Amino acid sequence: MPQLVFTYTGQLAAAAGAAEEAIEVAPGATLRSALDFLAARHGEAYARHLFHSDGRMRSTLLVVFDGEQAAGDKESLMLDGVGTVMLMTPIAGG
Amino acid sequence: MTELDRSIYEWQLDLPGFGEAGQERLRNATALVSRVGGLGGPLALSLAAAGIGKLVLAHAGDLRLDDLNRQILMRHDGVGKPRVESLKATLRAFNPHIEVEAIPENVAESNAASLVGRADIVFGAAPLFEERFLLNRECVRQRKPLIDCAMYGLEGQVIPIVPGETPCLACLYPEVPEHWRRRFPVMGAVSALAANIGAMEGLKLLAGFGEVNLNRLLYFDTAAMRFQTVKIRRDPGCSVCGEI
Ligand SMILES: [Zn+2]
Repeated sequence: MPQLVFTYTGQLAAAAGAAEEAIEVAPGATLRSALDFLAARHGEAYARHLFHSDGRMRSTLLVVFDGEQAAGDKESLMLDGVGTVMLMTPIAGG
Repeated sequence: MTELDRSIYEWQLDLPGFGEAGQERLRNATALVSRVGGLGGPLALSLAAAGIGKLVLAHAGDLRLDDLNRQILMRHDGVGKPRVESLKATLRAFNPHIEVEAIPENVAESNAASLVGRADIVFGAAPLFEERFLLNRECVRQRKPLIDCAMYGLEGQVIPIVPGETPCLACLYPEVPEHWRRRFPVMGAVSALAANIGAMEGLKLLAGFGEVNLNRLLYFDTAAMRFQTVKIRRDPGCSVCGEI
């Protein structure tokens, strides 16, 4: 299966314990399914930055495919043809 | 341009595309800096060095010991005194030819319109999203450019916002991030780096030279010394800028 690289920034990187990891994804996989897999791997400290408590994806999570913010509804984004997914959580530190 | 100005700014007057016209534009510009801590302080210093006409500094509260690892324009003997006054004194000593207005208040509902109203450009460097969103909303309403500068740990991010042309902060973050906290890890060199990237974006925008990173954000991670530009999108349904 193709390897997909995930990179993390901000609080999400801190929660994942790494700035980057690669997972295998099946053809036709959605971002949502990959995030569910990663959330199960990393646990609540990571998952809370991706999902609301009711399971919806957070509007504040910036999803970047190969250097470009992904367009459209995050829940239904497909991963076919994507090389790197960058997940950015908001930062505001002064 | 006076002989004194020419002498002070000689080295930057040679910059391609800048010149005396760029210097004049800076001289005639007013910048609002929202919070003058680890980000806003060094940012204000670089604007002062470049010869901006006027700085309006907004930040409430007194300097604390635990500010001193990053608020590099402050002084140890300023602990317990208003931050904004310490910064004003430092900036005035550094460049007495610019105007500095120190306002001992943070951006809030009560003052956002008047603070943004007196500036040509705004720099956002507050630690809380509520304050940043308020500044964003007001900048969009008044059609003023906003340079949003942020940092966390060893990472930084700069987003130049031109209302109507680029995504605004609410396009990217439609709600307050639930898990963001006022206290975050920080090192002074990282905040100063983000500050100076933000200062450069603002100076280019004001003086009309170089290429501003519009519709893109700059992200960096000094842990791995990785710099990355990300193309960002306006949200047509944005509650703040969707109608303009
Ligand atoms: Zn917007």
